[in-house]
Amino acid sequence: MAQFLQATVYGLLQGSLYALVAVGFSLVWGVMNIVNLAHGAFVIMGAYVALEANLTFGLDPLIGMLIAAMALFVFGYLVQRLLINLVVNAPIWMTLLLTFGLELFCVNVLIAVATGDYRSIATSYAARGFSMGSVRVPYGRLISFVLAITLTAALAAFMNRTRTGQAIRATGMDRVTARLMGINVRNIYAVTFGIAAALAAACGALIGMVGTFSPPGAGALTLRSFVIAVLGGLGNMWGALAGGLLLGAVEAWGGQYLSGTLVNAISFGVLILVLIVRPTGLLGRPFYEARVEV
Amino acid sequence: MRIRIALGLVVLLALASCGSESKVTGAGGTAAGTIKLGAALSLTGKLAREGILTREGYDYCRDKVNAQGGVKVAGKFYKLAITYQDDKSTPDTAAQLVDQMNDGGIKFILGPYGSASTEAAAAVVEKNGQLMIDSAGADNAIFAKGYKQTFAVLSPATTYVTAMVKAAAELASPKPKTVAILSADDGFSKTAAEAGAKAARSAGMNVVATEFFPNGATDVSSELTKVKPKHVDLILGSVHLAEGIAIIKQSQELGVNPKGGFGLTVAVPTPTFVKTLGKAANDVIGSSQWTPQTKGRDSLFGSAEDYTTGIRTKLGHAPEYHNAEASAACLAFIEAANKAGSLDVGKVRDALASLDVDTFFGHIKFDSTGKNADKPMSVVQVQNGQLVTVWPKGPGTKPLVWPTPAFGRR
Repeated sequence: MAQFLQATVYGLLQGSLYALVAVGFSLVWGVMNIVNLAHGAFVIMGAYVALEANLTFGLDPLIGMLIAAMALFVFGYLVQRLLINLVVNAPIWMTLLLTFGLELFCVNVLIAVATGDYRSIATSYAARGFSMGSVRVPYGRLISFVLAITLTAALAAFMNRTRTGQAIRATGMDRVTARLMGINVRNIYAVTFGIAAALAAACGALIGMVGTFSPPGAGALTLRSFVIAVLGGLGNMWGALAGGLLLGAVEAWGGQYLSGTLVNAISFGVLILVLIVRPTGLLGRPFYEARVEV
Repeated sequence: MRIRIALGLVVLLALASCGSESKVTGAGGTAAGTIKLGAALSLTGKLAREGILTREGYDYCRDKVNAQGGVKVAGKFYKLAITYQDDKSTPDTAAQLVDQMNDGGIKFILGPYGSASTEAAAAVVEKNGQLMIDSAGADNAIFAKGYKQTFAVLSPATTYVTAMVKAAAELASPKPKTVAILSADDGFSKTAAEAGAKAARSAGMNVVATEFFPNGATDVSSELTKVKPKHVDLILGSVHLAEGIAIIKQSQELGVNPKGGFGLTVAVPTPTFVKTLGKAANDVIGSSQWTPQTKGRDSLFGSAEDYTTGIRTKLGHAPEYHNAEASAACLAFIEAANKAGSLDVGKVRDALASLDVDTFFGHIKFDSTGKNADKPMSVVQVQNGQLVTVWPKGPGTKPLVWPTPAFGRR
């Protein structure tokens, strides 16, 4: 029982990190219908920015996280504005090709600059923790958990309460009408992409704090985001959070009762199961199905 | 205008293809007193770091022998030239590149990095009648197929965990009674883990758990959660760097403190291990193909200590065992060509098969399957952030720190 509880708690903590990776991915997919295969690379880039801030200026990764998010916001904005906007009307495989190319480019530039080494951002507190009965809760992961939920909530509030957020949602629903209403779609797309990249970078800093990262790990992060985005329902922030937590818990339980080598089979098994039972994802609504593609 | 651009492109492409062809042509070792060797290495992709270390080792050997005038074969001196191609860390590509090298007339191959690529390349080498000196493929599966054209200078996979078991049995006090083995699920790691479990049992230890996780995993919390309630004396990991770091990081998070300590094969001798984990890395033991305390010397590199100084001067960093493996493979080729007195592939192959030399890398003598079976593995330990050799005992080795204090008191 103690073992089950420990696995569950740790799985949920781990799942919150998965969720934070997936929130931005899901946002871009939901609003722009772009499956951004370079999303994992943005996470790793964010981790490197936070690492560099830590090594050069001795900044705590939680502060480095802000710098990483700002840097990647600018990067994401420019990538969308100058690059992805060129193919945003093209068939889906064009955007897949472009973002895949972007992923290869980013990962290989990172390898060239930073080597393929596994890196981690050292702190005095992340690996320490406290015990609740027989369950051990590490501080670093607890902080990540709280931040993941806070950031998701902040994003949801931003999307619902602010003019920019509403413009993003409107553009996601019907681009032509949004334009007729005076929304600068190019700018909104770029802002959306920037927000996604900033969230990815923030998550990268957290991953660097509690775990390890290396450029070739980008692909696995993108894949997991894909699973979670579909699992949770496209474009739904809370859906991505629920999907991430569910995946974390299921993987932890699977690891306890099955062989640890089956972890990927478990993730995709859960995905298939949810899609059979609820094709719109856990929290997906017909809302996004009503979107008009022009 | 368009036509002109298109024409220009065609010309450029034609030029480029000529350029790349001229790189791989030249028959195996006659042109202008040069011996052409080829190596498909992971210069990009996930194994880029190790691939580049391997290239450094090959280059160091080439520069060293060329500075002495070259390789002496039947009274004549030949310069060494090595053609590198990037296999992008994928085994299939490594095999294709080795095949292309054969088309370009390169018969002598220096091994790629890692067991998977080496295994793929070995099949091609055998088919083409090339000759490969393997520097970094330790999985015993490579040598279980009856290949005649692949020889490995490094100790096989079965010795990686076994060496740590032997070191613990010989040096640790109190001797560990219970062991848990955590292993990645690739061929190399599994072979090492199984052999280690067997060695532990025959050393009188009780192997209470053997857990597997995917190769390259950065989350091994499930396995640690399963092992924690068993309160073992020693946790042995048959792992690469990523999983090794994850085991220590997450053990710290989950409060897994084996009474004796941790042993994590190849993760520990990699400098990143200590750099990433800081104090948590202290007292962890690991196994290494080579350390600066390895016994033996040869005429090209001198002793292991001379090799260390040489690499430091040339490359500005301390040698890793990947450097040494690569240089040793190149050295084995030089010795064999010298002994064969010919650059005929068959003759060099036979000379390799009967090679029996002392080197800075330890003794090199291949068994009938092409493994360097007798070379002992070394066991290293992180002590105050420094990597020291603890086993086998000899000049320059340090006593084993045992048992390991819990995390936080290191």
